[in-house]
Amino acid sequence: MADFSAQSYRQPFPFLDIDPTMESLTQFAELNPQSFILDNSAFNFQTFFPLSINDSLFSNQASQGETMSGFIHNSNQSSVSAQPIFSAKTEMEEISNKRKALDISESSSGNSSSTSPQVSETGIKRRNNSGRGKRAKSNEKEMEKPKEVVHVRARRGQATDSHSLAERVRRGKINERLRCLQDIVPGCYKTMGMALMLDEIINYVQSLQNQVEFLSMKLTAASTYYDFNSESDAMERMLREKAEEAKELERLMREGYVGIGGVACFHSSSTYGPL
Amino acid sequence: MNNPHHLNPTSLKSRFTTRFLRALTKIRAQKPISSSSPTEIFRRYRRIKVAADKSMAYSVRSRRIWSRAMLWKLRSRSYRRQDPCSGRRSGKTNQAIMKKSSNENTTTRREDGVGFVEEADELRQLVPGGETMNLCNLLDETAHYIKCLTTQVQLFSPIGKG
Repeated sequence: MADFSAQSYRQPFPFLDIDPTMESLTQFAELNPQSFILDNSAFNFQTFFPLSINDSLFSNQASQGETMSGFIHNSNQSSVSAQPIFSAKTEMEEISNKRKALDISESSSGNSSSTSPQVSETGIKRRNNSGRGKRAKSNEKEMEKPKEVVHVRARRGQATDSHSLAERVRRGKINERLRCLQDIVPGCYKTMGMALMLDEIINYVQSLQNQVEFLSMKLTAASTYYDFNSESDAMERMLREKAEEAKELERLMREGYVGIGGVACFHSSSTYGPL
Repeated sequence: MNNPHHLNPTSLKSRFTTRFLRALTKIRAQKPISSSSPTEIFRRYRRIKVAADKSMAYSVRSRRIWSRAMLWKLRSRSYRRQDPCSGRRSGKTNQAIMKKSSNENTTTRREDGVGFVEEADELRQLVPGGETMNLCNLLDETAHYIKCLTTQVQLFSPIGKG
């Protein structure tokens, strides 16, 4: 975050030192992509600062002022940097004849000189008009301009600050929960990225489900075996009783009948055996 | 099977154990083993598995999205078995539950802005009822689900050893 304050202080200077070269601005533009990579949340807006300043200068968008409070709430440094920006901006307005500032801010490559003066003229006219207006209005405009300046930084990177705030909160929640899961799931190292952690979690849940399945199979087998064994005595008794009945029947048959009747009884008794 | 290790009578473990044991005794009472054919065994296994899931879901009540989804699934299955014409009924309950969960969370799968879509989808398939959850709630539910699964495994593992 130290870089942030340094760069935020650097920002007004390109506008003031624009006469000699636009090298500072290009350097600044080059710096921005790097900072963008460093920290998305804080530096998003800075990358598009040179380009988006045009819109803010050439259009009155009062609605953006509302989001400034959210933006300032975002980072402490911004409230600090708002002051120097305000002063720089007012200086610029006083030195309003510096059209070159607008020229260079419009085209970062800095080539088109024919079209830019016209546009810059209208811009300067607007600013002058706003300055000539009623005190309250001019105050508002002045208040809005630094607001706009501050807001412009946030505009391109995040659609509106309330959304970005909400997203940041959500991401924080998700990170928190991932950390909790990290503690629960064995084999998750803090050095692992989120995708790897999610993979680990998926594997763990799958393995747990398989374990439960396997254990319930085991339980089924155990209960089947147990039931089978506990009832085996009864079954044996039944079998024995049936066998005894069969034998008695046989005896009766032999006494009563000879030949097929006896054979039939013998057959019927034998069917009980294997059971 | 006593439970001397259960310190808290209202904990998840004890609730699950009592419920599951009840279900298990019911199963053993209603189905005396007549044959040991594979189909019979498999049917019994299905019953036991369903009883385990059901008792776990009932122990959690409706406090969790996944338990609610699991209960709904079990109920719709049992309805379908009893009465094939109950498809409408289950459809209504489905809508009710979907609406309820959608009111709580944001519905439908979406990018979520975090970039873990494939893993998140896989996780959604694993955790019951995960399709209707956004990433934030999904992680919450996963944590609780893992906790419940580990208690189940802990309770089942002494089987076969003792």
